Amino acid sequence: MRGEAMIEIKDVHKSFGTLEVLKGINLSLEKGKALAIIGPSGSGKTTLLRCFNLLEQPDRGQMTIGGTTLHFQPGSSIRQADTLALRKRTGMVFQSFHLFPHMTAVQNVMEAQVTVQGKSKAAARERAEALLAKVGLADKADSYSHQLSGGQQQRVAIARAMAVDPDVMLFDEPTSALDPELVGDVLKVIRQLAAEGMTMIIVTHEMRFAEQVADYVVLMDDGIIVEEGPPQQVIGNPQSQRAIQFLNRVTNYDVT
Amino acid sequence: MSEKQIDILLDSILPLLKAGVAFTIPLTIVSFVLGMIVAVLTALARLSSLWPLRAVAGFYVWIIRCTPLLVQLFIIFYGLPYIGIVLSSFTAATIGFTLSVGAYGSEIVRASIQSIPKGQWEAASSLGMTRVQTLRRIVFPQAARISLPPLGNSFISLLKDTSLAGSIMYLELFRVSQEIVARTYEPLLIYCAAAVVYLLFCSVLTWLQSTMEKRLARYSAS
Repeated sequence: MRGEAMIEIKDVHKSFGTLEVLKGINLSLEKGKALAIIGPSGSGKTTLLRCFNLLEQPDRGQMTIGGTTLHFQPGSSIRQADTLALRKRTGMVFQSFHLFPHMTAVQNVMEAQVTVQGKSKAAARERAEALLAKVGLADKADSYSHQLSGGQQQRVAIARAMAVDPDVMLFDEPTSALDPELVGDVLKVIRQLAAEGMTMIIVTHEMRFAEQVADYVVLMDDGIIVEEGPPQQVIGNPQSQRAIQFLNRVTNYDVT
Repeated sequence: MSEKQIDILLDSILPLLKAGVAFTIPLTIVSFVLGMIVAVLTALARLSSLWPLRAVAGFYVWIIRCTPLLVQLFIIFYGLPYIGIVLSSFTAATIGFTLSVGAYGSEIVRASIQSIPKGQWEAASSLGMTRVQTLRRIVFPQAARISLPPLGNSFISLLKDTSLAGSIMYLELFRVSQEIVARTYEPLLIYCAAAVVYLLFCSVLTWLQSTMEKRLARYSAS
C-alpha cells in the first residue's frame, strides 16, 4: 500500500532554550491516511504537531507538505509567503478550541474563506452552513461560542479548519478539554472525516480511538519516536520497554 | 437668592451653554478622535518587534505622562512662537490634548491587545491569516470591547481637562465663567452654574458609554 506521500519530514529538531524537545524526527504519511501520535506528556508530540503548520518553527530539518518543501537551518527564518502557503494547506484543531468569541459559529467558519481565500460572503456562508450541518450543528449557526458546549465548540472549530480546504488536518488533543460525555460527538466527526479519506495527524490520549481510526501510530518519548507502525502492532503488541511502560500506564487508567 | 442673583444666573446660563457647545465639546471630540488614532499607532509601535519603533513610542509616552498637561499647553502656545511657530489657541489646545490622549490611551490599547489570549492569534495564523488580518478581524474587535470602559473614563476626563485650555486664551466653558465672575462678582453662583453644565455634559457621555458597552457585550457570557 504505497501511495503518494502527502507529508514527509526529515531529521526535524526543535529546542526551547537549552531544552531539546524534538531530537531528529523522521516521518511520512500517505494521502488519505490518518496518523495518531501518542506518548507521555512532555514527549514532544504537541510540539511536533505544531511544527507541521509552523506555529513552531523547527531549528533544523526538512518538511514537505503536499508538494511544498521547506528547509530549516539555525539562524535562518522561513519567508512569510512560504509560511502562509503552508498554513493554507493545513487545518488545525486545538485542545481548547480557540473559537473567535466575537463571531457566531457560522461567522467563525466563514472568516478565513473571506479574508484568506477571498470568497464572497454568500459563497462562504453557503459552504460554512454545509460544514456546520456536516458536524451536526446546522441549528447552531447563529450561536456565539459561550452559548455552545465544549463539544459543540470543538465541532465548530473542526468545521472552521475544514473550511479552507486543507490537504491535511492537524488535531491537538481534540478531546482532552471536554467533559467525558461530550467526547463521543467530537470523535464521531473525526472518524467520519477519516472515513472520507481526509489526511490527518492526531495527537491523542484516547488509545481506543487511535486504534480504531489511525492507519498508522507513532509513539514518542523524550523527543524521539520510540515505536511506529500499524495500531495493532504499536498499541496491541509494543516491543520497546518505554512503549510497554507507557501503554500499561494509560490502559490501566482508562479501563472502562 | 436675591432677585439680582437670579437675574445674573439667568443671564449667564446661555453664554455658559454656548461656550460648552461651541468650544468645549468640539475641542473634546476632535482631540479624542485624533488622540485615539495616535494611541492605536503608539500601542502598535510599542508592541512592534522593531526596537527603534518601540523606543520612539516609549519615549513619547514617558514625556507626556511625566510632565503636567498645563505645562505642555504653555510650551505649545506661549513657548513655540519663540522659534517661529505661532498657533491659534484652538490648534495649540488640540495638539496638547491629542498628545495627552494618545499617550494615556496607548497604554489602555496596548493592555487590551495583550489581554487577547495567544490562542486567538494561533487560531487565526493556522487559518492562514496574516498578522494585519488577524489584528483587524480578530484582535481589535475583541480589544475594543475590553478597552471601552477605561477609554470612556479618558473621554470624560478629557472633557473636564479642556478647562485648562482657558489658560491659553481658548474661550471654553470655564474661561467664560471666569469672565462672568469678573464682571458680576458672583463666584459661588457662577462657578456652581459652570459645574452643573459640566455635570450635564458628562452625564450624557456616561450614558452613551454604557449604551455602547451593552451593545458590545452581546457576545460575552458574563
